[in-house]
Amino acid sequence: MQNPYIPYPVVVDKIITEVDTKDIKTFRFKFVNPEDEAKYSYIPGQFGELSIYGKGESPIGIASSPTQKGYVEFTVQKAGVVTSALHEMEEGTVMGLRGPLGNSWPLEFLEGKNIVIVGGGFAFTTLRSLINYMIHDDNRKRFGNITVIYGARNPGLLLYKDELTEWGKRSDLNLNVTVDKGDANWKGREGFVPAVCKEVAPSKENAVAVICGPPVMIRFTLPVFFDLGFSKENIITSLEMRMKCGVGKCGRCNVGSKYVCKDGPVFSLAELDKLTPEY
Amino acid sequence: MEKCLIKKDALAGIAKKMTENFLVWAPVKKEDNILFVPLQKGTEPFFAYLNSKNAPKNVFFPHTETMMKYTRTEKGMVFSEDENKAAESVLFGVRPCDAHSFVLLDKLFDQEKYKDGYYIAKRQKTTVISLACVKPPYASCFCTSVDGEPVSSEGADILLTDIGSYYLVEFFTPKGEKLVKYFGDTKADTAAETKKNEIAAKAKAAITSKIPAHVVKPILDKNFDNPFWNTIHGKCLACGTCTYLCPTCHCFDISDEVKGTDGVRIRSWDSCMFPMFTKETSGHNPRPSQKERWRQRTMHKFKYYVDNFNAISCVGCGRCVMYCPVNIDIRKIIEDISKL
Repeated sequence: MQNPYIPYPVVVDKIITEVDTKDIKTFRFKFVNPEDEAKYSYIPGQFGELSIYGKGESPIGIASSPTQKGYVEFTVQKAGVVTSALHEMEEGTVMGLRGPLGNSWPLEFLEGKNIVIVGGGFAFTTLRSLINYMIHDDNRKRFGNITVIYGARNPGLLLYKDELTEWGKRSDLNLNVTVDKGDANWKGREGFVPAVCKEVAPSKENAVAVICGPPVMIRFTLPVFFDLGFSKENIITSLEMRMKCGVGKCGRCNVGSKYVCKDGPVFSLAELDKLTPEY
Repeated sequence: MEKCLIKKDALAGIAKKMTENFLVWAPVKKEDNILFVPLQKGTEPFFAYLNSKNAPKNVFFPHTETMMKYTRTEKGMVFSEDENKAAESVLFGVRPCDAHSFVLLDKLFDQEKYKDGYYIAKRQKTTVISLACVKPPYASCFCTSVDGEPVSSEGADILLTDIGSYYLVEFFTPKGEKLVKYFGDTKADTAAETKKNEIAAKAKAAITSKIPAHVVKPILDKNFDNPFWNTIHGKCLACGTCTYLCPTCHCFDISDEVKGTDGVRIRSWDSCMFPMFTKETSGHNPRPSQKERWRQRTMHKFKYYVDNFNAISCVGCGRCVMYCPVNIDIRKIIEDISKL
């Protein structure tokens, strides 16, 4: 029986600085013991505990897709003790990774449906995992139309810029990237995510919206989807809480009787309605 | 099921005899407190106690425990799982309320999906011997309201009941039966059992402090936003005593400690009463004041645990009632909720 508290040793294989402010980086990890990769079999929407010895652990959503073999990626903003230490790491360093933890985006529920993905800012990471999973050759036909609406405050803060360019070329994905305010070189859309959702107006027919972003974005985006006729069962989101153990024992990330680490982080709005509003 | 009788003055000797083969945790008088500690040569167990100051949960879930070790090398940290050092142990003479708490903690630490090996290893290697409360020790005891009884074998492998000049010793599990030889061969007759049953009924009736613990679940389901929650926490100091002394509180923190090139990752008891418990890196705190923290503590024990494990996470030991420095009384809180 695997001890859920003990991390797998991973080597920092590649570090990609995502944004102009340099405080958001994507870390690509490879498993030191190749057999651990199979044990770390994950589904988009799950998270891991990044474990830096002497500093502690930080729960971060998995940004790569299980269709990307040989490594696992996390996009991390520099914020606290652990993430600051992570940002100082060099390629080649060995650290720890626990998980995969939590439930996931509900892939079986999404199958056969039109998918609307709405992401804001730095919360786009597990949505990127889901998009890359769905558009993979093996999986694309399992899903209907895919619409992506992704916004950041300014062009410099958009994550995964190369991928956005690639996705933009695809005919089987309707990509809508927006920034609150553009700069001199920005030729794309300007406007807040809720306004863009209204403009794009995805149909509710056989559709599920998967929404992840800062609270203010979510607050103004949800009414747009209600107006479009989406039911609460068909709006899915992901919660964040302070976590330690990641396996529902240390007692701090519960919302009502559900532990975000174990029963979440993914919930439908209908499920959230049944929980206490304490998050 | 094996049953036997031992002379009352033989108890301490039996506990000491067991130390030859086991790590024996027994109640010991330390200054004004009774604490469960591993018996060593020269320490005398003290069984004429009311209840221990600390809940004996620390035998399975220590205040602080090493989860793993690591060493710094040129290529980064190399870690090793702390080898599980759980010794064959006997927890000798716990009160039935505290033994009940082990059954409740098992539900959390020994769940199907994620098993907590640190807790489980110690639990599996420990034989629990309960010492029945023939006279309920405190006026604040309310075990009978939360599915307990003063003379109960719940959570115990062996139960000792004072029936006058003897203890009736009952062996409830194979683990308990392995210790039969320590208790001699005076078989218990039916008279002893009858006496025990009388004593048990009397002890149960003597618990006069009652709380409507089962009544409040459906009320809590509907009253998360009730203004009642503004009325509890005013005087709370957020000292966390209630959670540290509680036999069923299980929240913990995980932290790293480094000295030179070596380090450990440890877990330590934490408390939902502390502001930092849920505070996020962003500064956001989903439970920003003592009001939300008290609501969490109450809900966790009388609603959330019931939702998740179909059991109330309180054993009625009354420690939180006795030791709260500002006299916040969970019995009163539950009573008030029942009237909402």
